[in-house]
Amino acid sequence: MLSSTFALAALRWTSRRLHYSSHMQLFANALIAGSLAALIAGGLALVYGVLGVFNLALGQLALTGGYVTWWLHQVLDLPLFPSVIGGLITGALMTWLTFEVFVNPFYKHHRFLPLVTTIAWSMILDGLILLVFEERPRSILPGLKKTFEIFGAHISVEQCVLIALTLIALVVFAYVFHCTPFGRKLRAVVQHDTAALSLGINAPALHRFIFILSGIFAGAGGIFIGIDQNLSPTLAFSLTIKAYAAIIAGGKGNIWGAIICAYLIATLEQLLVGIHWFGVFYVPAGYQQTVALLFIIIFLLCRPSGIFAARARAA
Amino acid sequence: MSLLSTSHLSLSIGEHRILSDISFSVDSGEIIGLIGPNGSGKTTLFNVLSGFLKPSTGTIHLHGEDITTLSPAKRARFGIGRVFQNFGIFRDMTLFENVLVALEALSKEERALKGDLRKVSMETLEMVGLQSHAHTKAGSLSGGQMRLLEIARTLMSGKELFLLDEPTAGVSPKLTQQVADLILQLKKQGKTVLVVEHDLPFIGRICDRVIVMDVGKVVLTGKPNEVKQSKGLRELYFGADPTT
Repeated sequence: MLSSTFALAALRWTSRRLHYSSHMQLFANALIAGSLAALIAGGLALVYGVLGVFNLALGQLALTGGYVTWWLHQVLDLPLFPSVIGGLITGALMTWLTFEVFVNPFYKHHRFLPLVTTIAWSMILDGLILLVFEERPRSILPGLKKTFEIFGAHISVEQCVLIALTLIALVVFAYVFHCTPFGRKLRAVVQHDTAALSLGINAPALHRFIFILSGIFAGAGGIFIGIDQNLSPTLAFSLTIKAYAAIIAGGKGNIWGAIICAYLIATLEQLLVGIHWFGVFYVPAGYQQTVALLFIIIFLLCRPSGIFAARARAA
Repeated sequence: MSLLSTSHLSLSIGEHRILSDISFSVDSGEIIGLIGPNGSGKTTLFNVLSGFLKPSTGTIHLHGEDITTLSPAKRARFGIGRVFQNFGIFRDMTLFENVLVALEALSKEERALKGDLRKVSMETLEMVGLQSHAHTKAGSLSGGQMRLLEIARTLMSGKELFLLDEPTAGVSPKLTQQVADLILQLKKQGKTVLVVEHDLPFIGRICDRVIVMDVGKVVLTGKPNEVKQSKGLRELYFGADPTT
């Protein structure tokens, strides 16, 4: 009761500080940033749910997909669609390599070993990205984007397409995951891989598939950034941190919890810099990144199991 | 020819010998009880039989075929079903999905023989009286109901050999009887069961033979009544026999 009154008061307070159009712009920005984060966090939550391991090279793998798409489209002058497919395939191949070399030989000995090996791999990839694609910003679709106004918010055609494609990808994933025999086998492996093995489900093959799928999602995220904004080698760390904040807040291994929290964190990031705090100051945009880190700390302190963690059976 | 036979199985982890020279055979349609104090290697033996641990030496034959090096998934497809000590159910899936996924994991030919998998799944739940919970998540069941679901799921997946690890642990007396009935039903269908259990009266009621293990070795085998009367078993469970 007290918490809902407090939430309502906070909402009224926030609303008073936002004009309708800026309200809608913040919402649109949150939807764009949330869609990007949801793609990456969803795949990562699946990996954590199945293997219980952290892949700290995920941000770099996302950037690899984006940079390869940029190279195919801008340097080799291939049309956009085949370039995107090339970026996704590269993301998948690089993730497969990550699994075979930096995760698979280690995670059965101790689940924290891939934490170290993927940090090492992320540093190698950072260097390679810098060497091959250089430090300057790269955009897959450079130049001014055509925007239009919808309910007072300015949004580009590309952003609309990216949001729609993310939602379609999530709906297709939800259908496969919940309504098909293959999806049921995936969920069985996520929930109890030993029992799944004893039923004849090929859990090791599904482990590999899930890891590569997370790479395809991450690669799609990198392409999203390259189309909407600019690719930069320094983005990798913040992508990884945001994805982990979403999976910690969503309940470790809970895929839908992670996706919802990715949108939630993106909304809070937009609110942080969009509100005229106490009518006196705006928080500089550079502080947006701290929201994800604060989320991790708050949840680890107050609710380590996350918002959507499964409740235990009542006696 | 026996359904399952093990020959000189042993398992060492580092310098520790966990299983030592285990040889036994099981005929089709038999129910064998595997008993022994905690740490005697019963669950480890199940892990070796179902492929989760590789033996250091020795062989395992099923239907006369050497399965020693097969993966757990391949052994499952070969006919070994396992019920786990700590509930091998998928808690965030409904009861219906728990059974359905087991049926969907069968080979194409086996699925064709089963017919409508959704109908078979519902019949499986009806068999153990859980049909009214079909669309609730398995994690909301009591321990006994989880056990029934797991046994019924393994039963319907058409396995030949069932490895049941403490099927009555944490189960009420009423449900224990239901578990016993389910195991006896397996025997009637010609299936073979190996059951690890601490409940000796339960073992006496359902088993044809009993194998007693201690410190990774088979120390006694025989019919339940013979084993129950043996001095060796009393010493194993209660220490030195005070009457001697």
